[in-house]
Amino acid sequence: MKSVRDAIVLVVVLILQGTLANRIAIAGVRPDLLVAFVVYFAWMRGPVSGVVGGFSVGLLQDLDAPGPLGLNALAKTVVGFLVAKAGFRVHRSNVGVRFFFFLFAMLVHDVIYFGVYTGGELGAFVRQFVFVALPSALYTTVIVLILLSTAEGFSRTLLLTDEV
Amino acid sequence: MFRLLFARRADWAAFTIACVLSLTLMSLGRERQERTAWFLQHTVLAPVNAIVGWVDAGVGVYWENQKLKKRLAQVQIEVDEMRTERVENARLRRLLDLSQENPSELTAARVTARSLDRLGGSLTIDKGEKDGVLPNRAVITPDGLVGRVEQVTSHEARVLTLLHRDCAVAVRVGRSRVDGVLQWEFGERPVLNLLYVSSQEDVKKGDLVLSSGLGGIFPEGVRVGTVTRVGIAENGLMKEVSVKPAVNFRSLEEVLVYLPSGSGRGPRMPGLTATAPDSAAPGVAAPVDSAAGKATP
Repeated sequence: MKSVRDAIVLVVVLILQGTLANRIAIAGVRPDLLVAFVVYFAWMRGPVSGVVGGFSVGLLQDLDAPGPLGLNALAKTVVGFLVAKAGFRVHRSNVGVRFFFFLFAMLVHDVIYFGVYTGGELGAFVRQFVFVALPSALYTTVIVLILLSTAEGFSRTLLLTDEV
Repeated sequence: MFRLLFARRADWAAFTIACVLSLTLMSLGRERQERTAWFLQHTVLAPVNAIVGWVDAGVGVYWENQKLKKRLAQVQIEVDEMRTERVENARLRRLLDLSQENPSELTAARVTARSLDRLGGSLTIDKGEKDGVLPNRAVITPDGLVGRVEQVTSHEARVLTLLHRDCAVAVRVGRSRVDGVLQWEFGERPVLNLLYVSSQEDVKKGDLVLSSGLGGIFPEGVRVGTVTRVGIAENGLMKEVSVKPAVNFRSLEEVLVYLPSGSGRGPRMPGLTATAPDSAAPGVAAPVDSAAGKATP
């Protein structure tokens, strides 16, 4: 049952990322819902699922990405693993915790992604981080929290529960 | 050993394998990366792309539809505003024409309040003593006579319209030159009645009624209304004549206050042309239709 629900969420997220993300861009800043999905998935399902989900989603994204093949897979694998490890005993139902967790996870993802993508060039990395990663992470976090609370309101159950 | 490793440290093992795979993919040459990506795109990603493309087209149509609806609403608002402005423009143009015809005699004023009763017996205008408006000055529009100024403050004035019982007007039937007094009567049928017309006088339905200038308040030749009903009173001596006012009091927004400059004649009313000999003074447009003294359309 859980797998079916996760698959449905992934398909919905893929569709949203392919359709809505471009249309709701603000000043060129697009939300990255796939990272958010990896964070959600790893947080809910644990390290192994987080790693497998992160790698698969990252690889899917790599096929369309301008960077080298495997870069998104690596970044999302690391994020999936870290989130699952660090989020084990965190109150997942708390909105503040959710906000900082999603934001921090996305920033970690972008540090890895842009760190490799810019080839270690500090100026380019800082520029990308400040003007792309940070606003995108903030924007994505806000959208994800809205989507989560909406979905939880409809289903009347917590999607991110405190139960382990 | 691998089994033991996976059993005890499955998370670390999965993580290590995924990282190694990712790094391996990254370390592939550009050509091999492209080949791998092409292969995966046409196997794994093809159905996903198809679904995304299909949904994107639907979302695109929906999005465009929303934008067009919003634009349509904006255009509709603009059109409505333009229509309102066009009507206002025409109304102001008519006022301006009348005002330019009689530059020293008329001052334009905006209606700022109406009486609370539905019949509209009085109005308040935004011109007062400082603009030269004094009590008992006639108030008109291009359509005809509105009433007279009753009270004046420095910046405002109260106007009694023809629909007020205290606003009687000395009038004359344009075609037959029959004099009478027009007064509002709130009886069984609240109407403007033309009083003091004997049963022998020639008054017919459709005759134009103009101010006669007698009484000194209202200038001569201003259109007042049209005869709508003619009957004989019970005593058989007088006629009962009902008049429909030329002005629509419910939609008044701007008026002109007549400030006589000594001529004693009324302002030149648009829509009226020269007519009967006794009212056609040089330089002044006579107040009734040339042929039959009927109201001009």
